[in-house]
Parts: sequence; C-alpha cells; structure tokens
Amino acid sequence: MAWVMRNRVTVGLLAVVVVAAYVFYWAANDIAPSMYVSAWGYAIPLVLAALVGVIGERSGVVNIGIEGQMLIAAFAGFFTAAATGSILVGVLVGVGSGLVAGAFLAWTTVRWRMDQIIAGVVLNIVATGITSFYYTPGKILPGVIPNLDIPVLQDIPLVGEVFFSGRSWIATVAILAAIGIHLLLFHTRWGLRTRAVGEYPSAADTAGINVERLRLVNVTIAGSLAGLAGVYLSMDASSSFERGMTAGRGFLALAIMIMGAWRPLRAFAMALFFGFVNAVASQLQQSGLGVDGEPSGFLEWLLAAVTSPQILATLPYVAVLVVLGLAAGRVRAPGAVGQPYVKGDQ
Amino acid sequence: MKSSRYLVAVPAALALALAGCGGSTGSSGDGSSDSGSSAGAPTDDSNCASEDVFCVGLVTDTGKVDDKSFNQSAHEGAQAAAEELGGFYKYIETQDAKDYAANMAQFTNKSYDVVVTVGFLMADATVEAAASNPDTMFIGVDQDYSEQAPEGTNITGLTFPADQAGYAAGFLAAQMTKTNKLGQVLGLEIPTVVAFAEGYKNGAKAVNPDISVATVYHPAGDNAFSDPVWGASEAKKQLSQGVDVIFGAGGGTGNGALQEVAKSSGAGTDTFCIGVDSDQWETVPAAHPCLLTSAMKLISQGVTDTVTAASENGEFEDVQTTGEVGLAPYHDFDSTVPEDVKTKVADVVSQLQDGSLETGVTL
Repeated sequence: MAWVMRNRVTVGLLAVVVVAAYVFYWAANDIAPSMYVSAWGYAIPLVLAALVGVIGERSGVVNIGIEGQMLIAAFAGFFTAAATGSILVGVLVGVGSGLVAGAFLAWTTVRWRMDQIIAGVVLNIVATGITSFYYTPGKILPGVIPNLDIPVLQDIPLVGEVFFSGRSWIATVAILAAIGIHLLLFHTRWGLRTRAVGEYPSAADTAGINVERLRLVNVTIAGSLAGLAGVYLSMDASSSFERGMTAGRGFLALAIMIMGAWRPLRAFAMALFFGFVNAVASQLQQSGLGVDGEPSGFLEWLLAAVTSPQILATLPYVAVLVVLGLAAGRVRAPGAVGQPYVKGDQ
Repeated sequence: MKSSRYLVAVPAALALALAGCGGSTGSSGDGSSDSGSSAGAPTDDSNCASEDVFCVGLVTDTGKVDDKSFNQSAHEGAQAAAEELGGFYKYIETQDAKDYAANMAQFTNKSYDVVVTVGFLMADATVEAAASNPDTMFIGVDQDYSEQAPEGTNITGLTFPADQAGYAAGFLAAQMTKTNKLGQVLGLEIPTVVAFAEGYKNGAKAVNPDISVATVYHPAGDNAFSDPVWGASEAKKQLSQGVDVIFGAGGGTGNGALQEVAKSSGAGTDTFCIGVDSDQWETVPAAHPCLLTSAMKLISQGVTDTVTAASENGEFEDVQTTGEVGLAPYHDFDSTVPEDVKTKVADVVSQLQDGSLETGVTL
C-alpha cells in the first residue's frame, strides 16, 4: 500500500488510461481493436530501441546511433535470410550485427573517448551508405517469423488480443525486455553499478567498479536489442528491406526514452501512447473526416485544413511536445551522460 | 596516442559513404550479342554529330536500370527505339541528384540526338539543358513542365494519366470485393499519387456507389515512399476493419501493404491486393499470394513511341506528351477473376485509352 501511496499519480493515471481504453474498446468495437493492434505494432521497435537508449544513457553513453544500428540489422537480417533460406539464421545475423554496431559505438566512445554524438552520427552515416549501396531489390524472405500466442493470457479481452496473440515472439521479447531491464536496473547489483557509472563515475571508480569495462559491456549488449528492433522492421512488420526504412524510428526512440524519464516501463508506456496517437491520426484520415471536393466557407476550409494528412500527421509530435512540456523539470538525465570517463582526471 | 585513432575512423567512414558517387554507364556497343540484330548500327558515340548517326542517351534518376520499375521500363523503351531505328544507345545511372546536369552534359557534349531523362525530380535540370542545347531533343519521363513552360520545340515531358490506371484498378477491385469495402495505402500526397487514388475511388464508385474506400497517405515527407513498415501496419488495420481489396501505391510503402495482404489468412481467396506503376508480379514476388494485377503506366511503350516520333519529326509537337496506361496481366489469378469481369475491365481500359470514358478526376 505504501508503494501505491508513493506513486499515486502514476497509479491513478494508469487506472484512468486502462478504464478509458476499455470504454473505447467496447464502445467502438468495429475500429478500436484494430487501432490498438496497430498502436502496439508501431510501438514494438520503439520500445526495443528506447531500451537501448536507456541502458546506454544510464551507463553514461549517449547513443544517437540507434537508427544506424537498426538499419544495419534490418539489412543484414533480411538479406541473410533471403540468401540462406533460413529465417533463424537471418534473425541471428541481424541481432548479431546490431551487437557489432553496438560494440563499434562502445569501443570508439569508451575506449577511444571519441565524442559520443559524433560516433553516433558516424554510425548512422556508415549504416545508410553501406545498406543503400549493397541493397538489391526483388529478394524475398523464405518464410515468416512464427507467431507466439500465449495460452490463457490471449483470452483476456483487449490485452490478450493486442499483446498476447497474433504477434511474433519479438513482440513478447519486447515486453519481457522492458520488465526485465526495469528489474535489473533497479533491483540488482548490476543495475546499481550501471546507474552509479552513469551518475558519478569517479565515485563508482573509487568504490572499485571498473567504469570502462561496464560501459563497454552495457553499450555492446544493448546493441542486440537494436538489432532485434531492426530485424522486426524488415522481417516481421514488413517482409522487405528498403533504403532508409528505419525512417527516423531510432531518433523517435530517444524522444520516447526522455519522455519515459530514462525508465524502461515508462518508456514502454510512452511508446504505446505514441503508437496510439499515430493510429488515431491515420484512422481520422481513413474515416474521411475531411471535406470532399473544394471547401466552401471558412468552417469547411478550417475542417479541411485540420483533417488534411499533413496536419493530422503532426498529431503524434504535438502530443510528444505536450508530454515533454508537462514533464519538463520533473525528469533529469543521468549525471555523467555524454562524458567519457578518464581515470584520475576528476 | 590512442585518441588519434579516430582521426582515421571519421575520414574512413566518409570515404565509405561517398564511395557510391559518380555514375556507371552501359551502352548498346558493350556486348555484341545483344545488338547483333542491328548489323549496321554504330558501336560508339564518336560520330553522333553526323546526320546519319542516330544517338539516344538516357539518364536515370538516382536508381539503376535494373530496378524492375521506372528506370528499367524507360531504359528498355529507349533501347528498343534505338534498335528499331538502327541507332546507338547509351545510359548513365545517376548516383547523386547533384550530378543530373553533369550526366546530361556527357551526352550533349557529344551531340546526341535524343536524351531521355527519367523521373520527375529531374524536370528542372532537363529544362535547363534543353534551353542551352537546342540541337538535342529531350524527353522527360514523368515530368510535367506546366510550371517551367520551356520555349523550345526540342523538349517534351512524357506523362501518364495515373487517374486512368487507378480508375481501371478501382473498377476491377469493386467487382472482386465481397465486403464492399476497399482500401488504399499510399505514398506521399503528391499529384501522381493523388491521381491514382482519386481514380481508384471513382472507378470503384462507378461500379457500386455504396462501396467505401478507406484512403491513407503516408504522413512524413522524407521516407514516404520507403516505409514498408508503415504500409504493412496500415494494411493490417484496414484488413481487420473488413477491407478486402487493397491498392498499394507508393514505392516501398505500397509494397509493404501488398506484402501484408499476402500474409493475411484469406490471401488470394478472400483478400486481394493491387500493385502500381509497373507489373509488380515481377518486382514484388512476396506479393504473389494476393496480387490481382497492377495499375500500370506503359512507360516502355511510351518512351519508344516518343523517341521514334522525335527521330521522324526532328521536333516535338507539344511540350507535354501523354502516354498510355493499363492493367498488368492477371498471372495466377487469371482463373480467379470471372470472365465477364475481365471483359468489362478490358472495355473500360480501352474506353479510357481512346478518351470516350472520363475518370472525373480533377487535380
């Protein structure tokens, strides 16, 4: 109960959201379920990518190369699967390439103390260059990543339909990863050390923690989650690779990480929220709220302007701005984020 | 000095990123086997300035001539025309948008007779090149010059009435739907895409005014044509809302929608998809389970006809040339589509082509 009292704002908000979600679910049963499904589908790669950012920044390394990591993994996974005829090999290579990209970032920023922003940008540029150059059209996947329907849970109205059925196991991994990393970060020795290294590395160093090694390991392993997000994009959510197909999702994930106050579960919630606003935007467009033909009169003109795809498309970003505005001053980045740690310098 | 290592890493990365610049070329003189039919045809472009030697050059948009889409269709059309006329043909694949002018200059410097530029992004560069090279004739595929209004008679923009192609697709889709709900997943809201989309709507409503058409355009600018994840997600949403025929028009984004329909449980029996631009049976094999047909621009034929006309007349009649559109073959769905529907659709296509049927789309 003490926990509920301490987190009453969060709990209250959560309750309101859940009730509202169920009300909408029953009230608009023709469109609501598909909107929720679409929201979660949109959120999956964002959750995974935001977790990469959370682990990185909690250890004191800014990772703006998530976009590039995802792109490389999407590319490597898709073309390996197409070439070898095995989905499993494709997934493994995709995740592995995310890991390698993570290792690149870790090594350049932690060992060589390269500026973290520049290292991330380099990663993004290299990823775009390589994947665009070696892209060949017309390849197909040998199959699909199998769906994972979880017994019992899948029968819960709404929640079961959205989270526990009709999705591949990558979706389940995303849920487990968010919960798992939350527990690891806040309830284990590794988590405490990671947060210490990200907040005050010289103190952590004094306490006997190997700052450099912990950062190297964390950033590298987080790369595998980015790899999984990339694999999801090219092999699960769609079945093709396109140049630049990550389409800014890596950067979006960073915004979601900040909205989620560098906490895995809040980032998860924020990704879902973002996905839902996105689904609302496209549903409004699809339902044809807009005016057919030339608008006559000011009101019709206004309606046509507001419901044009360009304006509706800004809805998710406006929502982000509002949330960030509300959160301003209440959330704080890890203290040592962005600074390479040099032993004995402080 | 450990930290000096990254001084190497950055230039190395840039070098990698830039490695693709420049342009790759190919010509009809490259392989003797494929130009064997035209015995008297010239094998290089050294004599293009001469009256007797007919030279055709093609500059692609930032894409390759084997992209199984736009560039390839134009390439095949130009090649066919050059072969037919016993001329010389060469293409340059543009690697970067800033090279458009330089690539065209490679042809104009050697006094090529006809230069074909592919893609609507090249419109401005083409108009400029045409103004400064009055002796070379320029054909801009998918380029609309109504804003630039070039003065010379050595330039024409070859456009295709996308609304007609969309209309035919919608007309077919409306006869295949069982739920009376159609959908379309589109790229950026630009004139060509809007023409496809509005045509599709009107074609469907011509069959049955009660049919609803769910329409979504990709919202973001930069990647509107290369976001298959978004396309797939929209298609999935439409399918679960009862839509059973989805028109995917918008490059990779539309292809994402096609592939999602192909993955759905009733693909090919209850749910269908329709491709766009070229015969996507060839370009998106993953869509085979649901791909009824594609709303096609007959680009190859249009380029061949226009190049031939250029060689005969020496000038273009009009600053804008209109090509033809049609529907791609049904392939595996030949037996799925009822005979009477096929006949009706074929009628509509020919009426659209001869102008006796209007799509009712005004942009």
